[in-house]
Amino acid sequence: MSSKRTPHPPSGPRPPVHLSSSLTISDTAQLTGTHTIEIRSESVIHPRARLESSVGRLAIGRRCVVHERATLGAAPVSSAGLGRVEGVEVAVTLADYVTVEVGAVVEAGETVVGEGTVVGVGARVGAGAVVGKHCTLTPYTEIAAGEVVPDFTVVYSNGLRRTDKRGVAELKNKGMVRQIDVLRRMIPSNPAKFA
Amino acid sequence: MSSRRPPRGEYIETDTGNKVARKATLVGTQNIMLGGKTVIQPEAMIRGDLIRTIQAQPQSASGAAPNNTAVSIGRYCFLSRGCCLRPPGRLYKGAFTFMPLRMGDHVFVGAGSVVQAASVGSHVHIGARVSIGEFAIIKEYVRILDGTVVPPNMVIPSFSIVAGQPARLIGEVPEGGHEAFELRDLYKTVGNNPQPMPI
Repeated sequence: MSSKRTPHPPSGPRPPVHLSSSLTISDTAQLTGTHTIEIRSESVIHPRARLESSVGRLAIGRRCVVHERATLGAAPVSSAGLGRVEGVEVAVTLADYVTVEVGAVVEAGETVVGEGTVVGVGARVGAGAVVGKHCTLTPYTEIAAGEVVPDFTVVYSNGLRRTDKRGVAELKNKGMVRQIDVLRRMIPSNPAKFA
Repeated sequence: MSSRRPPRGEYIETDTGNKVARKATLVGTQNIMLGGKTVIQPEAMIRGDLIRTIQAQPQSASGAAPNNTAVSIGRYCFLSRGCCLRPPGRLYKGAFTFMPLRMGDHVFVGAGSVVQAASVGSHVHIGARVSIGEFAIIKEYVRILDGTVVPPNMVIPSFSIVAGQPARLIGEVPEGGHEAFELRDLYKTVGNNPQPMPI
């Protein structure tokens, strides 16, 4: 079956990586590009997640979960956006406790996703956008390039927004710790492959 | 990758009639149950590795192996290109666990859709680019239109048509509209020697 086949070899050069020893990264994750990819402790990278560092450095914080087929550091769709594409220092910054769900895309170009934010299924964060802390981007949301989303915002895919006043940020982070604990036992980790 | 091989069929056809594309990504195949006559198109993905870690009742002392099925799919299901099935996960009694994803017969999943439901009944049509949130329960004969976002924990009753973000009930399947959910004919149109769709 296909899972027993060797995964596709990454196209292009292997990027330099800076991986914490306590992270979980599936060996079918795809790391491409030329700049450094830094992933801090206890983060989880699911199979078939794509991390591209061809534009600039990727910095992924502690206890982040990047689900399958999510793409970090994708080339921006419209280069006319506000985000600078050429010569950026850090292409994508994920703070701690960020979840990037299935098929979501975070474009490259000094894009920042704040602590505890959930980027929903198939959502797209444009180049240079700054998403605040503890935001929820519901499935198929589009955040325009260069946009600034304040902390605790819930963004719906039809454009509606509201502020999350539940005050459950702490609980959500605790839940993520438990989730990561389970995922770590479930996903065979192979950081040596990327080093 | 496949160019190095001698030309072979695009699909692997099993004895029970499943047609699984060689380019589909099935993770944790030992935990995926296919009922038979199911089509899995290229680039579809099933996460069978996310198994349940906490059993609801303690296992009987007979020493039976725990049921580790993560994703079970009935007969005549059709998983289109680029869709993704993954078991939902949540906190249960203070610990995180994934729960099995159960799918009935004649379920169509459109291209690019992500299904994280707890259960999907029989004769369900899920359109393209649909997101089904965690622990949603979809009953029989439901039609979910393209681009719908079904929120987590939603229960969709039988014979409903839903659409929108978030999903809302927009209508009911008309009388005699059940036949449109049959996927036997669609099953024959894919595979290594596809037949034309009967008119």
